[in-house]
Amino acid sequence: AAKRKRDALAARPKKRAKKAPSAPDVEAKPSPDGAAPEEYSIPPPVSQGKWKNKERVLIFSSRGINFRTRHLMQDLRTLMPHSKADTKMDRKDQLAVINEVCEMKNCNKCIFFEAKKKQDLYMWFSNIPQGPSAKFLVQNVHTLAELKMTGNCLRGSRPLLSFDPIFDKEPHYALLKELFIQIFSTPQYHPKSQPFVDHVFTFTVTDERIWFRNYQIIEEDASLVEIGPRFVLNLIKIFQGSFGGPTLYENPHYQTPN
Amino acid sequence: SDSSSDSGSEDSSLSDSELQEAFSKGALKPGLNVVLEEGPKRRNDVNGLKQCLSEFKQQLAWVERLDVTLGQVVDPISQSASNKDAVDPENDFQREMSFYRQAQAAVLEALPRLRKLQVPTRRPDDYFAEMAKSDQQMQKIRQKLKSKQEAMERSERAKQLRAMRKYGKKVQNEILQRRQKEKKNMLNAVKKYQKGLSDKLDFLDEEQTSSQGNKKGSANQQIKKGPNAKRRYKNQKFGFGGKKKGSKWNTKESFNDVSSFRSKVAHNKGPRKGGKKALNKRPGKRARQKMKSRAR
Repeated sequence: AAKRKRDALAARPKKRAKKAPSAPDVEAKPSPDGAAPEEYSIPPPVSQGKWKNKERVLIFSSRGINFRTRHLMQDLRTLMPHSKADTKMDRKDQLAVINEVCEMKNCNKCIFFEAKKKQDLYMWFSNIPQGPSAKFLVQNVHTLAELKMTGNCLRGSRPLLSFDPIFDKEPHYALLKELFIQIFSTPQYHPKSQPFVDHVFTFTVTDERIWFRNYQIIEEDASLVEIGPRFVLNLIKIFQGSFGGPTLYENPHYQTPN
Repeated sequence: SDSSSDSGSEDSSLSDSELQEAFSKGALKPGLNVVLEEGPKRRNDVNGLKQCLSEFKQQLAWVERLDVTLGQVVDPISQSASNKDAVDPENDFQREMSFYRQAQAAVLEALPRLRKLQVPTRRPDDYFAEMAKSDQQMQKIRQKLKSKQEAMERSERAKQLRAMRKYGKKVQNEILQRRQKEKKNMLNAVKKYQKGLSDKLDFLDEEQTSSQGNKKGSANQQIKKGPNAKRRYKNQKFGFGGKKKGSKWNTKESFNDVSSFRSKVAHNKGPRKGGKKALNKRPGKRARQKMKSRAR
């Protein structure tokens, strides 16, 4: 499935460069099943040259990740239609190489999973090329495939982002909030997005950590069901540059796992 | 004082006299005092953060970002808004409920805004598109939920059956006993009439009225009924006409069986059950012989 996606992605930028996408092409992508019933009641194809917010997120990892991390990565790629995948990065390269990789793929944001010693998982969120970037320790990962998560959402629908009020209170949280918003929100009229808003990402600060949850909106009266995935981020550092640069903030509550 | 005498190279910044003064004031306690180093300084470049944020911030319309920053839905059930700060992160249920409420608050705020901006939020029923989880996955989930529910129902049913069986057995016993009693009474009444003790034929009607009265009283009485202790003892000793053959054998069990030994009765220590006839304290044989020989 990943391979298929990459080929489709490779095909897509070429078509993007050729001006507005043709109608049948766009219709084929957001609705692969059952062509007949949609033509009567769906809204018109999403992108009619209106896609302005060109955010692209590169999601990839280093070598040595375990199955749970790999599934989490795939889940994020599923939920974020504005994401791109890449091969695993070699551990020998410096982190600065990531900036070049992103430039080659024409991405301006990056989520990088770094696994150390087969136990700890670190996650980098970064804005390419000028920063800022943040490094987190990830804990309590539950993926989409877990049977306890019973919700479902359209693939590629745009999420609502819900933040704790604490995010407005401290400057480092405010910066993180801006970073999360730019990374996680799907641009409107993105060609791979669905026009409905049917799920919500929550970011909550509890116990000095950021908890991420994904809920499906069932009814208009805000009854929710969890879709997954879920994870907990423990902030380590915020850098001014992308994957480097002066340290803006260190988390005093963070202790290395060893 | 100890602390000043122990001062090695570490306390070289403080002279002995200063230490002594501090000790006499009570600022220092006796024992080894170690200079605590403050934790490693963690950078918090507030200005840098703010500047970075201002450079990094994008001026996008809300509809592009769809972000909501809100606290939780204030539950009428939960005590107050300050309850949120007391959310114990270890208490899983409470924590997840707080996330849920935060998401709910965001949804309640955002959906009206979206509707105003004419962004569709409800998926029409005939809109079929690829979902984040495959249909196969959803089937698995449904199966799991169903099996869990079935297991619960099965255990509930088993419990109920067990309870019903116990109750049913009890009811059945009661009914059988009542029937036997009625039969006995009826037979007695018939015998009395036959023997001429009572020449009323009331027992035929008696049966109906007494049975009705019994039904009401049986629930209370049946619990305490049964033969007396005396009757039970005699039944055990003489009943059934066939136990007398080996009844005087001392078997090992009967010899070792001290269950009928009442310590208080044997040592004459228990409370007097209704005043035993002025407690006949006739002295034993030896004591009586002594008395006789002394009296002579």
